[in-house]
Amino acid sequence: MPREIDREGVRRLVDQGAQLVEVLPAHEYEEEHLPGAVNLPLRRLEEQAAEVLDRHRAVVVYCWDSA
Amino acid sequence: MTRAAPVVGCAACGKAIDCCEFCDRPDCPTAICYHCLGVALSQATPELHDHGG
Amino acid sequence: MGFTQVYDYVAGKLDWLAAGGPIEGTSAGRPRAGEVARGDVPTCGLDERLGEVQARVRAAGWDACVVVNQERVVLGLLRAKELAGDPASRIEAAMRPGPSTFRPHVPIAEMAHRMVDHDLENAPITTSDGRLVGLLRRTDALRTAHEPHQAEGDST
Repeated sequence: MPREIDREGVRRLVDQGAQLVEVLPAHEYEEEHLPGAVNLPLRRLEEQAAEVLDRHRAVVVYCWDSA
Repeated sequence: MTRAAPVVGCAACGKAIDCCEFCDRPDCPTAICYHCLGVALSQATPELHDHGG
Repeated sequence: MGFTQVYDYVAGKLDWLAAGGPIEGTSAGRPRAGEVARGDVPTCGLDERLGEVQARVRAAGWDACVVVNQERVVLGLLRAKELAGDPASRIEAAMRPGPSTFRPHVPIAEMAHRMVDHDLENAPITTSDGRLVGLLRRTDALRTAHEPHQAEGDST
């Protein structure tokens, strides 16, 4: 179960080398995303995470908001 | 605090509001409600996704 | 999936944008309200007298003043009409309380268009927790909206 973090938590983890993952659809990711984030739309997350992400580094996932 | 009675309709959705949420004027001819303004200015969720977030 | 350190930034991209965080992407180069808002807008507190604030605002060459608390959270606004009031009155009584505020990430073109439509001279730009970033003037918004900008790149 992922641990919830806030904005400062994101900054801290990214400074420590965490990988950012935006799970929104590609066109929304292309328009704007957090610096360094990769795009893994939610429906492909499980299938592609292992090939795209380094399992030895922390992963921070985010969407548009908490809805 | 007692809110003023609605005096104008949102130009986007028609909901009765007591003043325009953009300019705060009760007599704004293009008054807009809080929700419609938020969507328009990308301050709210632009579109719902399958997982809702 | 085999990942042991997974975190969920629950508040998401909206929270990041609302706080004025840097972004990448095709819209990153487009000017936004937070970049154009004037951070040097005069501010004052609730307990001050309007006369003192009038003098300070005039000396600074402005025609508006934002009422804030010690944390710079916006409480009210003094536009030309409010600034023309009784100099002896307290700011709390003279100000326009709880003005509509807008987030730094709102595209400047959108703000400019609406400020013209609604005949709004200026608008406070605040973070998602209500702290003042600056006052966006319609003239600045219009000028920036009509300038050519970089189409793609980073925005910090």
